[in-house]
Amino acid sequence: MLSGDDDRRRWRAEGPLLDGWGVYHAMADARDGTVYAAANHVVYGPTVQRSKDRGKTWTRSRKVGLPQESGRTLNATWHIEPGRPEEPETLYLGGDPGVLFVSRDGGESWEVNRGLLEHPTRERWFPGAGGMSLHSIQLDPHDHRRMYVAITSAGVFRSDDGGASWIPRNHDVVTEFLADPCAEVGHCPHKLLLHPAKPARLWQQNHFGVYRSDDHGDSWVRVDGNGLPSGFGFPLMLDPADPDTAVVIPEKSPEYHYSPGGTLAVYRTRDGGETWKPMVDGLPDQAWAAVLREGSAFDDESLYFGTQSGSFFALTDDDRWVEAVRHLPPILSVEVTSWST
Amino acid sequence: MVHIVIPSMLAAQAEGRRRFDIEAETVGGALHGLPVVDLLFNERGELNRHLNVYVDGTDSRERGGLEAPLEDAREIRIVAMVSGG
Repeated sequence: MLSGDDDRRRWRAEGPLLDGWGVYHAMADARDGTVYAAANHVVYGPTVQRSKDRGKTWTRSRKVGLPQESGRTLNATWHIEPGRPEEPETLYLGGDPGVLFVSRDGGESWEVNRGLLEHPTRERWFPGAGGMSLHSIQLDPHDHRRMYVAITSAGVFRSDDGGASWIPRNHDVVTEFLADPCAEVGHCPHKLLLHPAKPARLWQQNHFGVYRSDDHGDSWVRVDGNGLPSGFGFPLMLDPADPDTAVVIPEKSPEYHYSPGGTLAVYRTRDGGETWKPMVDGLPDQAWAAVLREGSAFDDESLYFGTQSGSFFALTDDDRWVEAVRHLPPILSVEVTSWST
Repeated sequence: MVHIVIPSMLAAQAEGRRRFDIEAETVGGALHGLPVVDLLFNERGELNRHLNVYVDGTDSRERGGLEAPLEDAREIRIVAMVSGG
């Protein structure tokens, strides 16, 4: 756990918490401060753990798994998303193989979403090198029956009926490794975010480019052509106050997962993806870095990311990155919260 | 009564306890008496890959697997095979 002061220049590290576990995603639920972690281990399997004392003690959820008749087993827990403010005990969990769970009891137990588990297109989803993770869960703040998920090697799906059914929303997304690059499913989103102030607008960092949708995912426009050195990458950040701003950290290509040109750079658009500009002040001149899909975070004030080489960066008010902590193990997940001390 | 020893990472999930005394008739029954049983088996009830279970120093697979009766066995040791290099 990294704690920074108000100007984000000085940080201290504590831990490790959940020592030995691969924490694919951890977040502090703003509704009650509970910290949730999608914690996985090669021997002990996938778990969800939660802490009500800022990580001092942890409680495991009841066994998370898939029903016997599905013929599938849960390979990993990937992402935990709080439910809406008016449903304080509701949380969502994404996992591999492309599955969604809901908890109605504050993370004590999890029930699989049948609409996705038994989706009629599932036989056309094929796990890629990174498996088949459901890594993005986005709730429409205005329409309480609408939500989105993004699944590696399957695509983006929207539900308009509270999760009972799901429609693929990948129109205009081009996936070069598919026999039909414009197929209904089989696409490879790496991260999907909805803009909270303009929920019809979605941003997607895909295996093949950065996309924007202005119609709830009904159509997509590829927007990485003007200023980004590569369309390939994993993390995605937004500015909660400005729907036209998005931030990505490109990697060289699907074959080469490191900074293009040996320069670690964060790229920001402020015009809906028309143009992108690098933000490099404070970043190393020479680096071959990689940032994983959960390896970045944003809040009302700033941006944050951590690299696979164990460096954590925070952006100060003068748009300068501070390498707050280094020499950590590979950073899998970054989330930010404000706690009074 | 059989004595069970679990690895340190599991002990961290069991309020720090590494040793348990459990009354059971089979190896599997003993494992199901542990507070970390959810970390030993997948949702189909299959023992997780990379886990070895030794009964008095013998691999449980050589004694008939998890269904084998404990009889007069004294100790079960669970070992995580985090191998590779």
